[in-house]
Amino acid sequence: MLLDAVLIVLRETLEAGVLVSVLLSLGNLYQLKRNWLWSSLIVGGVSAFFYASQLGVVSEWFDYVGQEVVNASFQYGLYLCLLCICFLISSTQPINKRLLRLLLGAAVVLAVIREGTEVIIFFTGFLSDGDVLVKAITSGFIGLMIGFSVGALCYYLIVSPVYKNSRILSIGVLVFVAAGMVAQATQLLIQADWLPSSAPLWDSSSFLPEASTMGQLAYAVFGYEASPTLIEVVLYFTALLLIPCVIFLRVFCSRKLHSAGEPSL
Amino acid sequence: MRCCDKGKRFILIAALILNAAAANSATPTVNLEIKNHLFYPAEVEVPANKKIKLLISNLDPTPEEFESYKLNREKVILGNSKSVIFIGPLAPGRYPFFGEFNMSTALGTVIVK
Repeated sequence: MLLDAVLIVLRETLEAGVLVSVLLSLGNLYQLKRNWLWSSLIVGGVSAFFYASQLGVVSEWFDYVGQEVVNASFQYGLYLCLLCICFLISSTQPINKRLLRLLLGAAVVLAVIREGTEVIIFFTGFLSDGDVLVKAITSGFIGLMIGFSVGALCYYLIVSPVYKNSRILSIGVLVFVAAGMVAQATQLLIQADWLPSSAPLWDSSSFLPEASTMGQLAYAVFGYEASPTLIEVVLYFTALLLIPCVIFLRVFCSRKLHSAGEPSL
Repeated sequence: MRCCDKGKRFILIAALILNAAAANSATPTVNLEIKNHLFYPAEVEVPANKKIKLLISNLDPTPEEFESYKLNREKVILGNSKSVIFIGPLAPGRYPFFGEFNMSTALGTVIVK
């Protein structure tokens, strides 16, 4: 068994699995047919193959930092999708299911491209040796199944009847996942020198190492960074607070409009 | 008047971009190679509190992923290609990095003095 293959596939599946499980629970909550998930997984997979095949060209863009810039665009795009989903489902009125399906699908496509590309590139390294490739794929499958199990656990926790309002729980998890996307994208732009770098504000690696299982899970759910810089912290909390603010404004405005529309006695 | 304001704004933005580009070209560059799933040199010394440009050349035909938890860096470097990663400014200390696709062999450290 190739431990590297297990760990790499597990790490990428874990990140995508948590997000997809929350989106799937939302789809179920609004009684959407599952075809949005299958079609977006296929589109995401095909796009990941295409992106992986073009990564050599992309990496040379912007003086060899194209990879960071494009990946950060995917992450910011994903945040935008999640922001729009939260905005849409926070309505007190019946929602536009077609638009919700489109947004959920777009979020899954972006997540699969982002996480799937790295896995595909990893396996291309074994193409010249058939025996090792088979071992790597088998080991990767174990990682995939562990990641899938964590995603399934997350899904059943959200849709569990224990939680009376799974919509609020889904929005809560989405807010943290979305802010984590912004933190990761910001980190990429710092790495590309497109955003200023500075000394870390703190170092919590002795308390929760990023390499640990819990650290990896925290990274997947909250975008946990053991030693973040000021700009990362500022953008993380801005992204984190923006979604509740937008939801509050939406609910406030729709209630005001609703009360203004009621005939006075 | 508005046209002049726009012109000034354009010049200011262009100056900022040029300034950033000039700052980039002035950033010290450290070369790192990946060969037979090993980093050469395995230890690189860089000055403290300075931004550094790591120019990584992957001489292997297979891809590698440069990763460091302490440096907060992660990047795929395809086979027979080169790539750039900016690190720092860093406090003095040792910052380990590794190749995620070959974790048992591709190991290295950035030593900041």
